[in-house]
Amino acid sequence: MIELLTGMLTTAVIAGGVLALAGMGELLTERVGVFNLGLEGLMSLGAVGAVIVVNAGYSPAAAVAVVMALGLVLGAIFALGTVALRADQVLCGIALTFLGVGFAAWIGRPYSGQIVHTQFAPIAIPFLSDLPIIGKAFFQQNILVYFGYVALPLLVHLLFFHTRHGINLRAVGENPAAADAAGVSVQMIRFGYVMVGSALAACAGAYLTLAFVPAWTEGLVAGRGWIALGLVTFANFMPLQVTLGAILFGTLSSFGFAAQANGWPVPSVVFTIMPYVGTVAFLFIRALSQRGSHRLIMGPAALGHPYFRDER
Amino acid sequence: MTAISSDKLMPSPPAKRWRLHRLPNVDRKRRMIAYGLSLLIWFILVGAGLALASFPVKDIAIRSISATLGSSYGLQQTLTLAAPLILTGAAVAVAMRIGIWNIGGEGQFYFGAWAAAGVGLFLPEGPAWFMLTLMAAAAAIAGAIWIVIPAVGRAYLGISEIITTLLLSFVASFLVYYLAAGPWRDPVVPTQAATARIVYELPALDDGAHLGILIALGAVAVLGLFLNYSKWGYEVIIAGANRDVAVYAGIPIRRRIIEVMLISGLLAGLAGMIELTGVVHRLQGGISNQYGALGIPIAAVAGGSLTGVAIVAGFFAILLNIGVSLQTQGLSVHSVLGITGLLLFIIAAAEAAARFSFRRVATS
Repeated sequence: MIELLTGMLTTAVIAGGVLALAGMGELLTERVGVFNLGLEGLMSLGAVGAVIVVNAGYSPAAAVAVVMALGLVLGAIFALGTVALRADQVLCGIALTFLGVGFAAWIGRPYSGQIVHTQFAPIAIPFLSDLPIIGKAFFQQNILVYFGYVALPLLVHLLFFHTRHGINLRAVGENPAAADAAGVSVQMIRFGYVMVGSALAACAGAYLTLAFVPAWTEGLVAGRGWIALGLVTFANFMPLQVTLGAILFGTLSSFGFAAQANGWPVPSVVFTIMPYVGTVAFLFIRALSQRGSHRLIMGPAALGHPYFRDER
Repeated sequence: MTAISSDKLMPSPPAKRWRLHRLPNVDRKRRMIAYGLSLLIWFILVGAGLALASFPVKDIAIRSISATLGSSYGLQQTLTLAAPLILTGAAVAVAMRIGIWNIGGEGQFYFGAWAAAGVGLFLPEGPAWFMLTLMAAAAAIAGAIWIVIPAVGRAYLGISEIITTLLLSFVASFLVYYLAAGPWRDPVVPTQAATARIVYELPALDDGAHLGILIALGAVAVLGLFLNYSKWGYEVIIAGANRDVAVYAGIPIRRRIIEVMLISGLLAGLAGMIELTGVVHRLQGGISNQYGALGIPIAAVAGGSLTGVAIVAGFFAILLNIGVSLQTQGLSVHSVLGITGLLLFIIAAAEAAARFSFRRVATS
């Protein structure tokens, strides 16, 4: 029983790490008022890019750096359309998903099924990693897990709620006209955070192949980008809640592990569809529980709306 | 001397400079120019990309034309590919009318194909026309059922239909894959991960394409008439264009949203039945061939117009056909998706760029 719980929790944490990274990237983007539906494509390219770099003989850290740089470039292209030209964010996002998924499948063909040469090694934290059940799950993971679950959310939380710049960037997402009048450069902030968010999404893709599944196959991302999009809404657009939600969503993936370990007589498809069905269910639960309250339900007020100075 | 005096009489006009200006509306001409330019840029980028990856671009271009339009076989193939694309494109376009994004056409397609296959495989035998009608009805209802949860969530709880429709398509595709490779697997040829062959087939037209193209065009024509010439269609457009006006006019917005989304799912489901009975004849994983996903760029490029959808779907069918003929050269169907994504991005950007215009204005 203890073994099963340890295994499930470890799987949940690792599976959730992808969502923690991608979700945080999307949170940064959505908080400044831009909807990036291209997560799935960015993650696909990140995943395949990381395999290519590592299998060319470089270290996983170098792969993450390369992939994040790629994410910045793709984010800049996406921002050129959505922020600078103010094109339809939904269309551009879907286009980015198609582009990323399609291109990743194409350049990844020679690497399909190849084992990744080096993955990130787990780092055990002294004493804590010896704790029963949670020790192995939380304190004996690789560096990307610690970054995605601890460093990144704390950083974003501090940035959002304890700095002047954080107030500015939230204002850009809520009321860009007011932010503009106060002297905040709406377009610059949007452009910048779309790039950073895309880099994090690409990093989540690298996480998939460098810390989770040790090989690239076509369709590896399998909708995790869309689950991360659901996660941001589920988490009320709050950084620490995104992280907690990531573990919860990761748990949905860990039932398959438990079933395999125990030989439960349930067809595996039930566990395959669980993350998707679960995400939809969580969105409904959240919406139902918040009916009539005045919380931040629909997200930042300017989310999805391009900003035009002359239309104030 | 004269110059100075004339200067005094007529002061030089104030300095002018070019300024970027945003147009409130884009007229037809500007739109067409933007589309033409996007296509041109796209062709150049794709050509350059293929050339960089050392594909014989000229060969491909010549072969593509003969493979799609140059031969009667190519034309048949194009029409066959266009049938489901028209329906999935219309599914996205009709939802766009009320400001809804049904990007889960893939899932409704799978679920429709699944229902049609169930009718074809497990109901007692009947006359072909009757069974085909029954299969079409089952597929349409199944497609609509698959969108009920996103529709209710959108209309009553404000849950983003973009996320829910897409997540449910993953569910549908996994379920179909499981059924086709597991419980419904063909007992005669068990090596194949597909169901037994379904005996009811859509009748072929004279030129080899099947009846699906006519069904698709008919469905879209009926829907277009309904949307453009009925009170219901008018209410849908108002509800999509300006919610406040719609509320003021007493239009039941939530009801219209649900109705439109159900119709959208129904169309995508019907596409699944057409592909099943017209081309594949067995339920199998991957049967949607990304038709559901391609409905999005088709509707977007058509600007939500149903006539446009029929034309653009034809264009995409040609593209897909080229993609199929390129598969022998190492380009996968997924590359076609990537190339489509590029087109979608360029068109979205061009549509936005068409709103900007340079005007000479006086500096104050």
